[in-house]
Amino acid sequence: MGSLLGPISGVHIGAILLLTLSGMVLISLLLLRGRRGLHPAIRPLPAFQDLRDEAGRVAESGGTIHIALGNGGLNGGDAVTSLAGLQVVEALADTVVSYGVPPVITVGDPTLLPLAQDVLRRAYERCGLTEWYDPGRVCFIAPSPVAYAVGAANVAAADAVTTNVIAGVFGAEVSLITDAGARRDLPQLAAVAAPCAVGALYPATDRLAVGEELYAAGAHTTGEWRYLASLVAQDVLRVILVLLILGTAVLALIGG
Amino acid sequence: MGRLIKQWFPVLIATVTGLVVLAGYLIPSPPLIFYRDRLVEWAVIVAAFAFILGLFNILRVHGGRAIRLRQGWPYSLVLLLAALVAWVPSVLYGPSGTLTQQMLDYVISPLGASLAALLVFTLALAAFRLLRARRSVEVVLFILIVAVVLLGNAPFIGLERLADVRDWIINVPGMAGVRGLLLGVALGTVITALRILVAIDRPHSEF
Repeated sequence: MGSLLGPISGVHIGAILLLTLSGMVLISLLLLRGRRGLHPAIRPLPAFQDLRDEAGRVAESGGTIHIALGNGGLNGGDAVTSLAGLQVVEALADTVVSYGVPPVITVGDPTLLPLAQDVLRRAYERCGLTEWYDPGRVCFIAPSPVAYAVGAANVAAADAVTTNVIAGVFGAEVSLITDAGARRDLPQLAAVAAPCAVGALYPATDRLAVGEELYAAGAHTTGEWRYLASLVAQDVLRVILVLLILGTAVLALIGG
Repeated sequence: MGRLIKQWFPVLIATVTGLVVLAGYLIPSPPLIFYRDRLVEWAVIVAAFAFILGLFNILRVHGGRAIRLRQGWPYSLVLLLAALVAWVPSVLYGPSGTLTQQMLDYVISPLGASLAALLVFTLALAAFRLLRARRSVEVVLFILIVAVVLLGNAPFIGLERLADVRDWIINVPGMAGVRGLLLGVALGTVITALRILVAIDRPHSEF
């Protein structure tokens, strides 16, 4: 079985089922708990903490904000990471649209284009400014990572851009975009999952969300319980996984 | 009725499709595998149409800029002309035609490689900027490790020992860090996907 993923053994199926079911149960239980008003405090992340303040600063400066969503699309293994990046757009869209400073969003995969346009359009609708919506604010740059990065760097280098936000699927080529931002001394916020992108972004900005922190974008930027519940579920599963790994290591050590 | 179509219909399609595809991978049942493969094929077709949308987006954004003579309009014009030139051989001779292949091999690939080579300079510049902007033990350690790993790759006589240090850095602390990161990413992916599957998160619907 598994013509697209290759053969999957019974152990793997069991592990995937266990993870999926325990995730579903945990999220459901936490959502029920949230209805009783029990909300957790979450660790602040510099990348998301200043996001809305940055939108305010952009409005004051009369510039615009560039949001680079990377090369991920909706039809591959990066789909969920791309959707997590899109949460940053969702979080910012209402604020920047209401301030009258629509963002410039760049995508490197055309499947993400209609979704990003839709997020922006809905923000205009919520603000009652539908007639001002311009789908051209979301630009498809190029499907190859380096060509996308060069095109997005060109957008970041434009005079009107006063803040650079990077969230989604990137590799080491992201340094081309941050370099364009650094040359103009732009404030840069980034959230990426891939280790090679983390290495390239670390020297470029101190407002960086790394790995799993990208998936916490919704919880941090909106504070909505549905996002917080999934963040808590993620933390619980991680603790269980770490304990399992440690337990297996100790057992292997004892067993020689 | 409009609300039903705009709000609940996309959620229903996404949830059912997601569950069928997931079940197709986990349960070895021929009908499930059949439906899973058909749905994945449809996704590929939709993605191909998305490329046409992408092309129209490029024409709209850059065409508009070139016509209205906005900032950077010459670049937009060059982009549109280059896209047209690249498009013609593919349409006339097909994607595997000699001219199309020559264009890929002698123009697009070398251009991509030269742009990728720029990464060395942007990364080195970023490291210098980092030293100037943030002076801390963590930053010095970062630069030191980067230098050791880079020099460990270089074929300098007398620096052979550095290759061992580089290997150790990559295979022990580096690998441990990457595994931790990937474990977190995998969990984040599963939880985010579940959120969409059970319609807690609805990026595709008019909610």
